[in-house]
Amino acid sequence: MAGEIESVDELDADEQEALETLLFSLADDEFVFAERYTEWQVRSPTLESDLALSNNAQDELGHARLWYDVLEDFGHEEHELVYERDPENWRHSTLVEQEFLEGDWADAILRHYLYDVAEEIRLEALEGSSYAKIAGRVEKIQDEERYHREHAESWMERLADGEGLERLQEAVDRLFPHAMTLFEPCAPVPSAEEASDDEPRAAEDVEETVVEAGFRTESLEELREEWVDTVCPYLEGLGLETPAVERVHFDEYEYEVEADVVADERGRDGSHTDAWDDLHAEFTSTYRELGRSQATKIMEKPQ
Amino acid sequence: MIWEVFRQEQRGDYHTHCGNVHAPDREMAKQFAAIQHARRKPTHSIWVVPKDEIGELDAEETSFGGVTDKSYRWAPTYKSDLDHASEVIDSEGQQAEAEKQRGDA
Repeated sequence: MAGEIESVDELDADEQEALETLLFSLADDEFVFAERYTEWQVRSPTLESDLALSNNAQDELGHARLWYDVLEDFGHEEHELVYERDPENWRHSTLVEQEFLEGDWADAILRHYLYDVAEEIRLEALEGSSYAKIAGRVEKIQDEERYHREHAESWMERLADGEGLERLQEAVDRLFPHAMTLFEPCAPVPSAEEASDDEPRAAEDVEETVVEAGFRTESLEELREEWVDTVCPYLEGLGLETPAVERVHFDEYEYEVEADVVADERGRDGSHTDAWDDLHAEFTSTYRELGRSQATKIMEKPQ
Repeated sequence: MIWEVFRQEQRGDYHTHCGNVHAPDREMAKQFAAIQHARRKPTHSIWVVPKDEIGELDAEETSFGGVTDKSYRWAPTYKSDLDHASEVIDSEGQQAEAEKQRGDA
């Protein structure tokens, strides 16, 4: 039943670990993508597109904050989660950490599209989450995500209708394998106190618990299938090639992507591309240089 | 292409001009306008209108009136404060009451 779990105290150790891991993947995706988005500020092709991407960045930061706030149920604090966590303990997909190719608007738009379709599908699977705080926050996020997808699709269609098509294709070739990591099982983040006496469980087992405990009502595999079946026909309809293979399955067309298409660095398991080290060093630099020990908050609780 | 943007705060209000956006077509103009002109203000609806489609007439081309003294149209000698109009208010109240009763009957 949706939202019947009010507190982490109602959960056993494995369930707690699974919930915490799920929240890390949700929060980190949003936060890191927002960091990348802000690089377009004052550099977008027009003032309007600049504001639209800045708007996305601000939305994603707000969503990250909603999820980090739920992680505080496990005794974490925001400054520790965002500014003091080791880069290898971040669990975002490698799609969101990639550098934008300089001035390549097609890269920004394609990434925006691939991510926001995944986000929409993932949020639907969280609507009925057994953890009350997750279920309660989904709708607020969905309201804003609806705009993101419409915005991405408008741009996709316009870019594909002309010389932008080639650049979109290059972006698909480069980013698709990273987008696939959105659906990789997430490894738990080792906690400082437990040190090494308890081996953390394997990502696959943790994912199984996420679904069994009803924190997410669909498995990552189901989310991936839905995502592939949404983005591949859409991209191909625009004249783009994808790594997907079309198969007829019980009289219905289905798209499948081979397992080896997924990027080597998964993000979810703590392995990241070099781009992540640079980005992490950059957004934590002010905090380190000023010797901070707290995150600045404008409001007590995220709204 | 420039699209003029009109924002309506609540259903039934007038759409009031609030600025413009650059956009290649109507669809994108609506998306940009939503972010640029409605994200931080209470909004019920937004219109986007191609700037070229707006007909304009300015004061250099015509005289808009209001230049001659028409103060004779005002009736400042009538007393308009409410104390002196209590019988009008009472009468209105009685009529409203009567209408309500007819409706109930």
